[in-house]
Amino acid sequence: MKITESLPDSLQKFLINIAGIGRYSALFFRQIFRGPLEIREIINQSYKLGYQSLFLVTTTGFIIGMVMTLQTKPTLEQFGAESWLPAMVSISIIREIGPVLTALVCAGKVGSGIGAELGSMKVTEQIDAMTVSGANSFNYLVVSRVIATSLMVPVLVFYADAVSLIGSYVGVNLEGDVSVQLFYHQSLGALVFSDIVPAVAKTFFFGFAIGIIGCYEGVNASKGTTGVGNAANRAVVISSMFIFVIDLMAVQLTQLFI
Amino acid sequence: MEEKAISVTGLKKGFDGNEILKGIDFDLEKGENLVVLGKSGVGKSVLIKCIVKLIEPDDGDIEVLGTDIRSLHKDDELNEYRRKVGFLFQGGALYDAMTVEENMRFPLERLPNKPDNDEIEKRIEEALENVGLEDTRKKMPAELSGGMNKRIALARTLILQPQIMLYDEPTTGLDPATSKEISHLILEMQDKYKMSSVIITHDMKCAEITANRMKVIKDGVFAFEGSYDDLSSKDDPWLKNFFE
Ligand SMILES: Nc1ncnc2c1ncn2[C@@H]1O[C@H](COP(=O)(O)OP(=O)(O)OP(=O)(O)O)[C@@H](O)[C@H]1O
Ligand SMILES: [Mg+2]
Repeated sequence: MKITESLPDSLQKFLINIAGIGRYSALFFRQIFRGPLEIREIINQSYKLGYQSLFLVTTTGFIIGMVMTLQTKPTLEQFGAESWLPAMVSISIIREIGPVLTALVCAGKVGSGIGAELGSMKVTEQIDAMTVSGANSFNYLVVSRVIATSLMVPVLVFYADAVSLIGSYVGVNLEGDVSVQLFYHQSLGALVFSDIVPAVAKTFFFGFAIGIIGCYEGVNASKGTTGVGNAANRAVVISSMFIFVIDLMAVQLTQLFI
Repeated sequence: MEEKAISVTGLKKGFDGNEILKGIDFDLEKGENLVVLGKSGVGKSVLIKCIVKLIEPDDGDIEVLGTDIRSLHKDDELNEYRRKVGFLFQGGALYDAMTVEENMRFPLERLPNKPDNDEIEKRIEEALENVGLEDTRKKMPAELSGGMNKRIALARTLILQPQIMLYDEPTTGLDPATSKEISHLILEMQDKYKMSSVIITHDMKCAEITANRMKVIKDGVFAFEGSYDDLSSKDDPWLKNFFE
């Protein structure tokens, strides 16, 4: 008996899924080096994706910044360390909360959107129609979207970090009086190189994972309306899981090198 | 011997151990309209999808315009081959995120030696004129009726000037009058561009209008062959069902 046959069905399916995503990533890089890229479609997708998630990223970013500030405040007050508040909040936002939260929001909004869109194109045979017209559907549909998510998720994270800090500033000033300048110094002054670089680098991987998983699940959607729904659902679940795995790896690597 | 447009021998295909096509043989002569008839689910779509390599057959030979299609491996060769064979999908398969014009432009802009803008414009113009829908250019596919959708899909396929056309149920889901119009349109295009076609259908009116020759699939193989009149006058009770 082969070892694969002794695994439960759902685990087998899951592993096949992961292998498929791996193969897709390889195809993606092969296609990038072959070119030509669909520049117009990349811009189009980037715009759409940024525009779609801007509102959500703004609200979650602002609220998280404020809530973290308000909840940390009493503890720091007990130690008389209130002036550390902006530094603490900004470090946790920029290192961890900003990237991960934004990526999760994008996985929910953008990843499911890609999964559903490509899924419905698949079941209505639009992808096949591209293929039989001699066009490279992988390049047009998948490569463009993955490049767009890889570029836009970092931008959105940067934006979310900024909005969170504004939220934090508002939180500090709800019962206090800290000038913008002082807050700026206290929060960003505490940041060092090793806080920022790994935090930025991992966002590209988050974006890549969201894009490639959304595309893979969409293109491999099974027929029927439930097929499309399942594809969108799997896109969100698997990419959220990948985001945490990438995050964990990023932390380990950072500790190794810095 | 003259080269055939399509020559299929011993084509077999199954899914999950369930054999659908069990040895299909047929030739399509150049300039011919072959109508393939068969009940829903016998594998008509599977058959023509094998011809454009959307589905890999389990067994059998497919030769198109003198080329064994199994020898096509590289993407470029495959794309070049696919441009010679037009495929009209059962549901039209218009790109619903693009306008009609963008739908038409899409395959042209991705040709290896992309025509210039004037040429592209001219071809879109001509293609829309062919199907009598010049005024839908800026519309989205969702705004089109079923009949218009099929026409635009046909125009988009013809814009690459294929030598062979494969029609997957071009008239299903349309009212009888519109079906008739589409059937005549198919004939007209056939004549204008000198194509060879395989037309899959279970619409007998469409078959009567378009067929030079007909073949009927039953249980995974071709069971009957002949002209429309031949088949309609046969005594077989199973076959009679189609013509009632
Ligand atoms: N990709 C696929 N995977 C699994 N099974 C498939 C696939 N494509 C087709 N089949 C099966 O093959 C059979 C034939 O399908 P096909 O679409 O060719 O039927 P058809 O003759 O075109 O019918 P219709 O007139 O309804 O379009 C069906 O039972 C279908 O479930
Ligand atoms: Mg069919």
